Amino acid sequence: MSDGMGFVAKTRLIAGKDLRIEGRAREVLPAMVTFVLAVMLLLAFSLPPGSRVEERVRFLPGSVSVADVLSGFLWVTVLFAGLIGFARTFELEREESALDVLLLVPLDRSGLFLAKAVVNLAFLLVVQVLTIPLFVVLFGLDLGARWAPMALVIVLVDLGFVGLGTLFAAVSARARSRELLLPVLALPALVPIFIAGTELTADIFLGASFQTLAERGWFVVLIAFDAIFGIVGALAFDFVLE
Amino acid sequence: MTFGRTVALSDLHLEIGPGIAGLFGPNAAGKSTLLRVIAGLQETTRGEVLWNEQPVNVRDEGFRRAVGYVGHDAGLYRALTVQENLQFFGLLYGTTAKIEQVVARLNLESLASTRVGELSAGLRRRAAVARALVHDPQILLLDEPYANLDDDAANLVSAAIRDWWSDGRHALVASHGAKRVKAFADASIILQRGHVVSHRARVAEGTR
Repeated sequence: MSDGMGFVAKTRLIAGKDLRIEGRAREVLPAMVTFVLAVMLLLAFSLPPGSRVEERVRFLPGSVSVADVLSGFLWVTVLFAGLIGFARTFELEREESALDVLLLVPLDRSGLFLAKAVVNLAFLLVVQVLTIPLFVVLFGLDLGARWAPMALVIVLVDLGFVGLGTLFAAVSARARSRELLLPVLALPALVPIFIAGTELTADIFLGASFQTLAERGWFVVLIAFDAIFGIVGALAFDFVLE
Repeated sequence: MTFGRTVALSDLHLEIGPGIAGLFGPNAAGKSTLLRVIAGLQETTRGEVLWNEQPVNVRDEGFRRAVGYVGHDAGLYRALTVQENLQFFGLLYGTTAKIEQVVARLNLESLASTRVGELSAGLRRRAAVARALVHDPQILLLDEPYANLDDDAANLVSAAIRDWWSDGRHALVASHGAKRVKAFADASIILQRGHVVSHRARVAEGTR
């Protein structure tokens, strides 16, 4: 093998290494999936039996739509499951200080950010593919043909979530209390993304058409945050790791 | 170079010519910090590092390609085998041609398919040196490469360093075991409390 591996190939190599190690060690995905399943099961008992998505449930001092509650359930679960996974982003590099060596390889550090973000996105998508159908069944949702807009919302929320989560995982990577630092840093910044995701998902649960969803403007919020967090993450990663 | 109120390196002017230099000194003398500063892993509070008379820029991929570094830890992935680690880092540097050679030089052939997490501390150290040599760097920075090694393994590491060296290359080997490095080093640098207290050329007691 001679010299000539480019940015994309090296980025893919780092991401592939992380996925291979997860395939062997199985440390991140089982923790995320177990968390999601346990929370979903608990939440399933929190709604009155037989609640329908079009109904409202009493929630002092007023009432709230079941669709809003379920949408909130879904994204809060994804949020915390994601943070569990993101907290492990640089754990492999911490074990034997491999991060120092990785920082010395001839690769722009945005490549390292991209590799870590791709792995985090893969983990998040796997968790969602495994658990969201279960969520739908557990809460008696009938998405019908609305799987496509739902998938779009999931991907758009995930992109921003992963961009910001990976950046803050790097910020907290060398901190002693990194498990605490990551949520403290990330949660306030993630609020707009998850509000947009929750609003869109509630509308989808209620059967809104794609046109209705688009008119509400939340897609613009998601796309804007995805772009901002993606670009800022790639640019700031270099300085964050120093 | 300071960490909070602790001064790690101070008033340090050091010109290191081509060759192998031993870096000695008691604990907390600043040996590891100096290696990290030269590698670009630690920014200085004041001052700069020059390489080929140019200030070192760690964002310069050419400089990074020139450096082979072993820190306190192995810098390897525990869940990957020795061979997979060397292949991984070799590919990132764009060359895997030297893997076989460094594996043989450090007598790691029988362990190539063993996961790093299953190796003893001494074997991990040897694998770390192999990893630093795999891209045939121009500058080799080794922090305690003999830690946890028995005499035979230490001799293998010394031989690997000597084999790697050729005209124009620079190596800085920090070690408590001054005698072992002095056996083949061209220069010795002694640090104490962040200061250079001695810098002598040509210390080799044997032949390279």
